[in-house]
Amino acid sequence: MKRVSIGGGQGFWGDSNDAAIHMIRTADLDYMACDYLAELTLSIMQRQKLKHPEAGYARDFLGLMGEIGKEAWQKHTTILTNAGGMNIPALVEALGGMAKQQDMQGYKIGYVLGDDLLQQLPQLESEGVAFDNMDDTGDYQQIKDKIVNANVYFGHEPIVDCLRQDADVVITGRATDSALFLSPLMHRMGWAENDWDQLARGIMAGHLLECGGQGAGGNYMYDWRGVPRMDELGFPIAELTDDTMHITKAPDCGGIICEQSVKEQLLYEVHDPANYITPDVTVDISRVTLAQDGENRVRVGGIRGKQRPDKLKLCIGYQAGYRVVTYLSFAWPDAYEKAQYAADILMKKMKRKGLKAKDIHISYLGLNALHLGVADMSKETIDRLNECVLRIAIHTEDRTEAQKIIPEVSPLQLNGPPGASFFGGRAHVQEVIALWPTLIPRDAVKLTSHIAEVK
Amino acid sequence: MKEVYLNDIAHGRSGDKGDTSNICVFAREPQYYDVIKRQVTAEAVKAYFGDMVKGEVVRYEVPTVCGFNFVMKHALGGGATLSLRLDSLGKSMGSALMRMKVKLDA
Repeated sequence: MKRVSIGGGQGFWGDSNDAAIHMIRTADLDYMACDYLAELTLSIMQRQKLKHPEAGYARDFLGLMGEIGKEAWQKHTTILTNAGGMNIPALVEALGGMAKQQDMQGYKIGYVLGDDLLQQLPQLESEGVAFDNMDDTGDYQQIKDKIVNANVYFGHEPIVDCLRQDADVVITGRATDSALFLSPLMHRMGWAENDWDQLARGIMAGHLLECGGQGAGGNYMYDWRGVPRMDELGFPIAELTDDTMHITKAPDCGGIICEQSVKEQLLYEVHDPANYITPDVTVDISRVTLAQDGENRVRVGGIRGKQRPDKLKLCIGYQAGYRVVTYLSFAWPDAYEKAQYAADILMKKMKRKGLKAKDIHISYLGLNALHLGVADMSKETIDRLNECVLRIAIHTEDRTEAQKIIPEVSPLQLNGPPGASFFGGRAHVQEVIALWPTLIPRDAVKLTSHIAEVK
Repeated sequence: MKEVYLNDIAHGRSGDKGDTSNICVFAREPQYYDVIKRQVTAEAVKAYFGDMVKGEVVRYEVPTVCGFNFVMKHALGGGATLSLRLDSLGKSMGSALMRMKVKLDA
């Protein structure tokens, strides 16, 4: 019986490489997939590319490949990643150069182009695509002149194409996280394009792995104290046959794989469990089953699939003003009251400076900055506070408006309530990029697969 | 009757998609599934979060894993990029819900 193993090597851009390196060295993997793209990542990468034409991809992936690329190749572990971001050719070139330096002649780098639809937007609009916001109301005409990037979430087809051409690594832009995992499973197991139940299993294997450590005891509410060796947290590995799916992890690493750890990732960022929509298949996990099947090994069953959607999700990032965030800390006694008074002073000064803000958010770290309206604000809690940090965040249309508060905060150490302590240096104004998710017809997207071989 | 935190009988995780936050909640023991089902309704969660969640709250049930999924719209102060909240991704929305009080038969 055919059996495939695949590891989840990265949970996001900026994640640690340690677990990916460990699993390549110690687990006998057929594939490892590394997800680098969150919702906003491509907008950030597009900004980087505009400043530096050779940038715009996840450079961290090169660091990872420098460590284990050759070993993975020698062990026949194929690596898949969406690290290409907004500049896939630049990453292909950099990786090719690295492979050449490491004497990896014959190494095949597969890559997928075509998810960047920025230049095609006017034509799509003229063909009648409305770009209605999926989540919200709002008028596309109001944002169309401020667009930074527009990338379509795509599924398995071009990735499987690369694998059919014997790619040793596949680099994409906005492939869905789960397609990076589904594609090699389809390729190796020979699952049909419309075998919805099998495709759904492949997507869920990806879903349980795509957040890296979060699928193996990281961010684990059930019993975080009981997670062994979190300093060497392993990332999850899926093993599939046509009939079975197990989630496990590499030997000799920290972390935990149990029913509860799998559960917490199972519904993470899922909406309707009976209709989890991906470009490849609509997944139904409303009757999913989990069972411990050995140490750090959980069997997953009961996954069903349905016809995939007709449309694909296009995520448009657009310029939406500026943001500034400032902090000022206070200690006992009356830490919260002093911090509130400092906020009052700053808001009065901002009024005098004529601040034009779209939104202002004031909160107090150590008290209610995370739990906001449901935080415990009882008198006992407030009276006992050892310290409290005022946080003021402001969103403005113009950069100059956001700058107004910056010079006013540190002077409160001498000019405000007693014991104010300023830290971290003066705040910086950041650009705000907002997201506009929309649906477009599948046939509006032309993705192409390519192979670059290291000579 | 004794009153406990939801945290005492459940666990879960929160995530984000745009301005939508989802919190999955699982009974720590199967006998708590019905307690959660009766008391931690979509309406109760919407009322609990008050101003923090401006849109609708929908609850989905996954009884095979003793779980629920709460999907809350306009819950993150504008979402990852527009939100001015410290926790713009709502990573702590899960623990925020876990402070909700539920009643157990003593």
